[in-house]
Amino acid sequence: MSATSVAAVEQYDYEIIKKFSIMAIVWGVVGMSAGVFIASQLAWPWLNFDSPFLSFGRFRPVHTGAVIFGFGGSALFATSYYVVQRTCQTRLFAPGLATFTFWGWQAVIVLAALSYVSGFSQGREYAEMEWPIDLLVLFVWVAYGAVFIGTLMQRKQPHIYVANWFYLSFILVTALLHTFNNLAVPVDLFSMKSYSLFSGAQDAMTQWWYGHNAVGFFLTSAFLGMMYYFVPKHAGRPVYSYRLSIVHFWALSFMYMWVGTHHLHWTALPDWASTLGATFSIMLLLPSWGGMINGIMTLSGAWDKLRTDPIMRFMIVALSFYGMSTFEGPLMSLKDVNALSHYTDWTVGHVHSGALGWVAMIAFGSLYHMIPKLWNTQIFSVKLINAHFWLATIGTLLYITAMWISGISQGLMWRAFDDFGNLQYSFVESVAAMHPFYAMRAIGGMFFLTGMVLMAINIYMTVRRGMREADSAQARAAVAAV
Amino acid sequence: MDWFADPANTKPLGLLIFFVTFCAIVLWVYGSKKRGKKLEEHKNIPFLDDEDEVKDKSNG
Amino acid sequence: MFKNFKHEKIETNAGLLLVLTMLAVSIGGLVEIAPLFFLKSTMEDVEGVRPYTPLESRGRDIYIREGCYTCHSQMIRPFRDEQLRYGHYSLAAESKYDHPFQWGSKRTGPDLARVGGKYSNEWHVQHLIKPKSMVPESVMPNYQWLQENKLDVSDIEGRLRALRMTGVPYSANDEEYQRNVKQFGEAVAKTLHIPDALKNLVAQAQSGNFDGDRSSVSEMDAVVAYLQVLGTMVDFSKIKPEDLVKFR
Repeated sequence: MSATSVAAVEQYDYEIIKKFSIMAIVWGVVGMSAGVFIASQLAWPWLNFDSPFLSFGRFRPVHTGAVIFGFGGSALFATSYYVVQRTCQTRLFAPGLATFTFWGWQAVIVLAALSYVSGFSQGREYAEMEWPIDLLVLFVWVAYGAVFIGTLMQRKQPHIYVANWFYLSFILVTALLHTFNNLAVPVDLFSMKSYSLFSGAQDAMTQWWYGHNAVGFFLTSAFLGMMYYFVPKHAGRPVYSYRLSIVHFWALSFMYMWVGTHHLHWTALPDWASTLGATFSIMLLLPSWGGMINGIMTLSGAWDKLRTDPIMRFMIVALSFYGMSTFEGPLMSLKDVNALSHYTDWTVGHVHSGALGWVAMIAFGSLYHMIPKLWNTQIFSVKLINAHFWLATIGTLLYITAMWISGISQGLMWRAFDDFGNLQYSFVESVAAMHPFYAMRAIGGMFFLTGMVLMAINIYMTVRRGMREADSAQARAAVAAV
Repeated sequence: MDWFADPANTKPLGLLIFFVTFCAIVLWVYGSKKRGKKLEEHKNIPFLDDEDEVKDKSNG
Repeated sequence: MFKNFKHEKIETNAGLLLVLTMLAVSIGGLVEIAPLFFLKSTMEDVEGVRPYTPLESRGRDIYIREGCYTCHSQMIRPFRDEQLRYGHYSLAAESKYDHPFQWGSKRTGPDLARVGGKYSNEWHVQHLIKPKSMVPESVMPNYQWLQENKLDVSDIEGRLRALRMTGVPYSANDEEYQRNVKQFGEAVAKTLHIPDALKNLVAQAQSGNFDGDRSSVSEMDAVVAYLQVLGTMVDFSKIKPEDLVKFR
């Protein structure tokens, strides 16, 4: 018995995946705590503690960086290394390089967070890292690309499974986006400070081309790759339609790149660019829902699993939130809706329905499926997963409901006129009116964070059990050998 | 270069390239039954990955 | 041709998959961004727009350092309510020297594109030190350290030189200085001359007396100088409404 389990471990390179999965969970806890912290600052401003290091403006990129690149990034590294090996039936290409991607990436997240709180920022959302860290990101990313593509090249399976297409497009596009959005002139070689190469409207266009495609390829394509492997695998049923997945892939890759300008409606950007962005945003609904349907229909005939298996529930709810936010997104890209929603909390709510509901939940599901396999054991507690699932779902719903209400009321209050044609509300009246919803949002975040902490405990116990079992198996083997 | 600088030109051009390619892909994927069958076989790849796992092909 | 195409070619060849994906994702970016760099109408010249003085530029650095853009936009949209609340809608030219742009995406606080001149220096200083003392409902953090910190001016020339490399017309030599005199007039051109940057910075802080303390240049001086210039460069009384269409 022990012979076969040892063989299973050696068939693929798991060390690097184990490291990344653990860090995904660590960064999840850290990043979501930072999120709850800054959300609470907006509800209760004394939490800024009059400290430059903890003030909202500096701490917000700590939250976005830790959840997107720390939690999301590490989960993607882990699952992509897992999926590419298993669907290509080969081991990782250049494991040394893969180890470098691990340490390099963790260094990026830590350095970025430290630099933000000490006041180094490029002032570009989701790309606040200053140039030396940007360079490190670039090195890590090239190494990542080399490992991934190298592994694809040495595959034993002739066909490249569709999940890998999504991962590949994510790696390529992220390299492209990162490079062009971070072109900057440093003050000098020993200064962290740099100035963006572009200015004004061009800079805005470049930044939102980056910003939206980071959402499109980092937080969508890549996680769809995760979905295309883990949903069928966990359900024990192949994906609903492979042909749909091909169309889905190409349509998504084509269209996402066009839509960034919908972040700049009614600004000083030329009209045609933002109208084009809106048109493609509407069209994007089709491939997005194609993907969602493909995922959900994979389960058809096995719906009973939803009752007993909380991991499956994570995956299906993730797909539902994916469907919901890819419907809400095109809606918000309509210029008339955008006139109301832009600059308000509605946008924040939309991002989080995607980030909490889709990205985090599909990652939770995949990690719960993968981690026991990595340590060749069973999950410590299914009940804890179940508790996590409900906390995460309630937290997400509280969060986005709060943001819908506050976002729409902000939009309406800002544009309200009294009978004499004057503005009805001063700006600060809208700020004061948001307080209950900011509190509600913070509480939603706390629910979500509590679930994340339960996951960390559950995974810790699982890994400990896996290591004990491995030890005793080894001891038994040693005894048998004597 | 000037021709490309005019959005009145690049907009329809981009749309055309996009649309033609998309139709080609859809036609290619759904155009032939034989090809379709072959493509659908690939969906079993995730179930071929464990040497020691009993292969579940009941859905394939 | 279509029929002869073997699907294995894409699916079994990682290189080809790579190239095709690259192609698919590049088209959108190219069609949308590339024209902006050739398009004249993206950024019309509007009279009055000038690069920031050394002190304002340092204030802008601090604005970015503190992450003000996470709560404040600098982009007024062409709606009646925004016109009444914030002033004339923003022109592309008004941020042509902004490296990086700070249009923002969220208004937890009000838009700042035209905050310049709306409040006194004293108001800004008090408000930055303790926002609630001026606006009781505010959720903005206190920034009292801006008043306490002396402004780091050690690398002011290096900073302007870096900005010059990105295309902002700061002058490094006499020839460039003369060009600026022609474009912006002598008074402005003097403030853009890199060799005099430190002198100009201190002079502006002294004469502006933004933080109410002439003995030294604080970060508060720089931030308030920056806030007070926002949106004030263009004199809209001099622009005919029909011309505005082409500035957008």
